[in-house]
Amino acid sequence: MADVNVSQSRGKQKHGKKKAKRVGVRIDMTPMVDVAFLLLTFFILTTTMSKPETMEINLPPSNDVSVPVAESNLLTLRITPEFKIFWNIGIEKPEQVTGDNKKARLVSLGKMLKEKNSANSKLITLIKIDGKAKYVDMVDIMDELNLNNINRFSLVPMEDKDRQAIEKL
Amino acid sequence: MSKTKRVGFKLDMTPMVDVAFLLLTFFMLTTQFKPAQVAEILLPESHSKFKLPDSDVMTVTVDKEGRVYLGLDSQPLRVKVFGEANRLKAGMEVDVKDLGKLMRTARLSNFKLRTVIKGDKNADYKVIQDVMDILQKENITRFNLVTNDERP
Repeated sequence: MADVNVSQSRGKQKHGKKKAKRVGVRIDMTPMVDVAFLLLTFFILTTTMSKPETMEINLPPSNDVSVPVAESNLLTLRITPEFKIFWNIGIEKPEQVTGDNKKARLVSLGKMLKEKNSANSKLITLIKIDGKAKYVDMVDIMDELNLNNINRFSLVPMEDKDRQAIEKL
Repeated sequence: MSKTKRVGFKLDMTPMVDVAFLLLTFFMLTTQFKPAQVAEILLPESHSKFKLPDSDVMTVTVDKEGRVYLGLDSQPLRVKVFGEANRLKAGMEVDVKDLGKLMRTARLSNFKLRTVIKGDKNADYKVIQDVMDILQKENITRFNLVTNDERP
């Protein structure tokens, strides 16, 4: 395979004059190259090129004084374990976000949020997620908010009265 | 008897071997091993572009059964928080009740520590909500959620 010092002088030594005898060193490099390739494959397969992404969240400190917000500036999102999204502004009746599957609902949620936020720039989004919902639901909702540049939102625990409010719908 | 004549074929492999060694050196020097996982976690996906910091990270891992693990990346800190016996453990399963206290101890030793929540996709939101409540009580108001890059 990859040999060095390929000596060609052996055959000629018989009928030549007295040459300085050269010791032909021949190393079989095949095992070394094999090992090198093995290591190469190992490193190619184990290396992690991409680091995971993170989403940054800022929470208000717990001893924060509560800030009064006008109800008309408050958009409440309620998410059920089945990933039905209900939204309402202030004390209006909750409305369900349309869409047959999760993806479609997220898209229409994004559209709705964009519309409402451009209509009222002081809008604050409250997110109430049912405890039985999955973590991925929360990440998806927050991702949708981030994509629409909505930074003013807060996560609020869902209470029984929230569940009752959307139950009948 | 006459032998069938074989065509001697010789190929110089030297350039290929050179390239192989070059690649080998490159990968050996650049590789960063995956950090040890405390539990099998399926990360959710997002469009966020913040990278996970390299060091001074405190990871709160929530697996899909809702178990909570606390992980620290530096060994001296692990000794301080979990004791000498757990020096080599990437993360320890902790009770949600003790989480706040352990995080406080860790943060007192290293104030640069950043908190990261690594939750499984299918973990119940309730557990995450509890963890975030604890973070808020501990005055960790800035933290990150680990996600994968969403492929379009």
